Amino acid sequence: MVRVKSRYLLCEINVSDRSNLLKLDDRAVAGAVRAAVARIHGDYGAALCSVRFCVKYLNAHTGTVFLRFPKGCYKLLWSALPFITSIESRGQIIPCFFNCLHVGGTMRTCQKFLIRYNTQQLHQMLPKCKNEEEKRQIREAILSCTLTGRNDETFEDELMSEEDGE
Amino acid sequence: MVAKSSTAANMSAAKAKMREKKMRNQPVSVQHPSSSHGESRAENGGGQSDARPSSQRQRAAPNRSGWIRGHQRDGGGYAREMPKYITGGSFARARAAEVNAMLKAVTKTAASSHLFQGLPKHMRRRAMSHNTKRLPRRLRDLANRMREKSLQAGPKKKKEPAKNKSRKARRRHGNLLLEFNRRQRKNIWLETHIWHAKRFHMVKKWGYCLGDRPTYKCYRPCYRAMSSHCLLQDLSYYCCIELKGEEDKLLAALSQLTCKEAGPTFAAAMCLSGARQGSVTVYKAGQYPTQPLGPVTYLWRPPTAGLTHRQLWIWAHPTLKQDLLPELQSVCQCSEAVVPPVQPEVSCAEADPGIQAEPKSDSKLKPGAKRKKSCKDAAEPPAKKILGDGTRLPGTPVTWKSSSTGIVINDLTMEIVRYRLIGPQSHSVLTETLEAATVCDAGRTELESPSLWWPQHCKDQSNMTLHQQQTDVFNILKGVCSTGEVPPGTVLGLTVDDPRLNLPKTKVKAVPRVSQLQEADEEKMRELMLRGVPQPCCQSSLWEQSVRNSVTDNKMSEQELNRMKSEMLVPGSRLSPTPPQGRVPILLVHQPGKQVGNEMSCWGAGWELLLPKGWGMAFWIPLVYREVRVAGLHMSLKHSQNKAAPHFPHDYPDCPAGARFQEEQEAEFLDKFRRRPPAKRTNYIKHGCLAPFRCPWQQLAEEWELLMMEGGAEGKGEGQTQSSTKTHVETEEATPQQHRAVANPPIRFNVLRNRKSLRLLSGWCRPTTSKGQRQWRGAPPPPLSRAAVTSFHSAHRMSLVWVRLTLLSKGKPETHAMVCVPTAEDLKLFGKKQASSGPQERPHKDHFKCRMKRKKKGLKEAAPSLLSSDDGEGKAPDAPAASDSIASKDPQSASDLILGLWPDPLPSVTSHCTRVTLGWVTQGDFSLSVGCGEALGFVSVTGLLDTLVNQPVEHRGTLLLRNPTSLHYRFVKLNIDV
Repeated sequence: MVRVKSRYLLCEINVSDRSNLLKLDDRAVAGAVRAAVARIHGDYGAALCSVRFCVKYLNAHTGTVFLRFPKGCYKLLWSALPFITSIESRGQIIPCFFNCLHVGGTMRTCQKFLIRYNTQQLHQMLPKCKNEEEKRQIREAILSCTLTGRNDETFEDELMSEEDGE
Repeated sequence: MVAKSSTAANMSAAKAKMREKKMRNQPVSVQHPSSSHGESRAENGGGQSDARPSSQRQRAAPNRSGWIRGHQRDGGGYAREMPKYITGGSFARARAAEVNAMLKAVTKTAASSHLFQGLPKHMRRRAMSHNTKRLPRRLRDLANRMREKSLQAGPKKKKEPAKNKSRKARRRHGNLLLEFNRRQRKNIWLETHIWHAKRFHMVKKWGYCLGDRPTYKCYRPCYRAMSSHCLLQDLSYYCCIELKGEEDKLLAALSQLTCKEAGPTFAAAMCLSGARQGSVTVYKAGQYPTQPLGPVTYLWRPPTAGLTHRQLWIWAHPTLKQDLLPELQSVCQCSEAVVPPVQPEVSCAEADPGIQAEPKSDSKLKPGAKRKKSCKDAAEPPAKKILGDGTRLPGTPVTWKSSSTGIVINDLTMEIVRYRLIGPQSHSVLTETLEAATVCDAGRTELESPSLWWPQHCKDQSNMTLHQQQTDVFNILKGVCSTGEVPPGTVLGLTVDDPRLNLPKTKVKAVPRVSQLQEADEEKMRELMLRGVPQPCCQSSLWEQSVRNSVTDNKMSEQELNRMKSEMLVPGSRLSPTPPQGRVPILLVHQPGKQVGNEMSCWGAGWELLLPKGWGMAFWIPLVYREVRVAGLHMSLKHSQNKAAPHFPHDYPDCPAGARFQEEQEAEFLDKFRRRPPAKRTNYIKHGCLAPFRCPWQQLAEEWELLMMEGGAEGKGEGQTQSSTKTHVETEEATPQQHRAVANPPIRFNVLRNRKSLRLLSGWCRPTTSKGQRQWRGAPPPPLSRAAVTSFHSAHRMSLVWVRLTLLSKGKPETHAMVCVPTAEDLKLFGKKQASSGPQERPHKDHFKCRMKRKKKGLKEAAPSLLSSDDGEGKAPDAPAASDSIASKDPQSASDLILGLWPDPLPSVTSHCTRVTLGWVTQGDFSLSVGCGEALGFVSVTGLLDTLVNQPVEHRGTLLLRNPTSLHYRFVKLNIDV
């Protein structure tokens, strides 16, 4: 089997004011990346960027974003990412920078990395807590995401509900 | 996501659905709603429609994904307004939710429609979708569920056939019997039906289910069996009509149906004594040369001393029965139908099917109740197997009697089983299979079973001496070399033991035992061959209705017999003493073989076995175990073809049954012809074949009458064969319609059956060689001359004659091949080189084809305007032969033209081709007995006489034969066998 190969970049958007993060949306991120590539690599870069580039996933709460680039030119496009200093979203300019955490061949590897990374983050957060309330919440969060056993159940439920829907 | 959603707009619904399924587990972007329309989107929640060109994926609350559930717990306010500050808790929760979402996306790989595609390659197995047990166990129930769903979705319209019972239940004996009885209601089943149905191609014919031919290839083996061993057929479908009354009154009534000219009648001395079976062609009362009904065989019961009351069985084909029975009723003046229960003797037999027919009707209502139905007769086993005619309604009368003449007519259809054994060794088969009944101790058995007939019968000493005589004769039969040696039509009555008792373990071939003969026996045998069976031996208890019923009712079931066999001390030995109910009266009737013609005389002789009903299978299996071949209808046709005898109803075109058969056959052939694509059909018009699927006998006879009339008017020059026929042709062509009008009122054609005339004609047909003359040992026939012909012709107008045609060179004649008159040149050619292959017919032109084309075109352009003009044009280029007859019918015929077939009003059939047609072949095949092609058919007597007169002496009787699909004429030799 032959398929079109891509590279997926897992990036973290770092902003100075965390509340600004919630104003992001995927079109704004895509626009910012395109602008940066065009600025750095000119028309050639813009053209490359227009083909198979897209924002696969954006979590406004955590600031994670999946970017998909064509595999042939992902290094060129990647090189433009550090030059993004701000994103214009909903009429506001949000100053930020991209921090690339992982480069993967599939979404799946990126997702796997993200799981590992996030749990690691949570575990690191736990000793640094300032008060008991926070500690309890973080512990809760950690517990909620490490309970793997019920995944099958949820899947079953979904299947059932879908069947009912049909 | 942007690119995706833009393309999603033109995605089809199914594709979108598929995609949605695929993306179900993938995390969606989490963003804040930008405006109010985002909220409305959030409300229609669950539907993740990618088809919508949305730039922002604001998935507020699909409550199934875990992390969003956590997100919502924060409260709606959080989602709506931007939070002012951030806490560690919410930060951690957001992370945790994301981890959950990702986890879900990563673990659930079964994104595509089939979950086993998500399996790694090395775990995939062939046909996993077919058998879910090939899947790993964790995926099985999911796969099952998906499978069910797809099954529901797929063939929803296909309705499950309502099978209310399992196969096991259906095959259970009682239920099977019910089913069989239901299926017998429409067509009568013979007693050997199940046996045949397993081995034969069954056809529904004449109200019966009959085996046509075996499913295995056995054409030649069957022929070999007929000519060297034995071939078995079930002829129980033949109908028996019983006539009872005073001898002279019966003969007086029956003499109206026959005529002495056509051979021996019902009153033939040999047959009247009951020692021989006779055969006769029956006509409508007093209509002798015209309106025949068909051939029947008849058997008189031997007269009992001092009584003039006689009993006669007339055996007729089922298609003939419907014509014959009313005729018999009218000549015997038997108009009073006797309702079954009135006559005690009759009711016993006739009520049987009635009783058995009744439960069938209510079985529909409550099948469960039927099994427990108690039988009226206690002696009868509880199984309600239909014996005899299952289609007849219980109230139908089967007996008619006359008050004036005292004759009683009894319809014994399906009351007597009739098997036919054909072949020279059929007597050995019979003597091996059957054993004369052992005498039983009357006193002892009577105590046990008083209702049995044999112990009663044994008491009378005269009966016993008769039985001894019959047994002796039967034993002499063992020494006979060939069945053909026995005088034709000999009848032997006999009582035999149940043939199931000495059933061999394996099939054994019955061979004659000639050498065992003693000196004294040889004398007896010679007598048997010369005089036949001595007269008293023809008596049998089978003639007695009461005995027949008793034997049928008291038949031991197979189960009972097997039980008794299993209780034997020495396994496999013969059961002794013979159980008292195992005696069956039978009649053996010798069947004459080929009686006509010089060569192969007595070919196909055999015996017929008449049994009381119910005993069919009990005799059939033992017969089959003697390595006989079993054949069906197809082979009986071939049998009569080899015997050169006309087969009913195929070769009786002048009988009503034969006419019906011809119509059926035409419809069948036409249907077969029409099933082919038009381009692949034979164009019979081009072959000059007017009627490939039927034989217009009437038209043929009429045309030959006209030809003769004109020929007579023009002059009787000896050398004008060719020219005269040509002039006939032309005059005929000019005004066939007028002539037909002149010839009216139409006389129906008839088949010549006058023995004397046939003999005369047969003599004329032969070339005058020494061999031919030797046949006429007595008075030589009158020489063939104009005067003789004219007198003969005047006696037999509108007649056809049954002829046998032997091909002189190669070739295989087919049904409906044309018999034609050779021209003088043909005969010259034939005289020069005997092996010459014969002349050719020039291909004819198919005028109908272009007309059809024109019609089609015309219809396309303008229907009404062209019709009239086409009419005018259509006439001109037509064949002269066809022009006037067709032009008049033009608009009508064009509508039902079939490519390659002449439309209905046929032009002159005799003069259509370059050789004048004499008649047609009804049966033709390569004859295995002669070793060349042989055809049987009819020719016009008038035409034949004309031809014979005009032919040179050395070539007399040489004709031409042409198949409907061929242009090649072949020389044939004409024989009229008497």
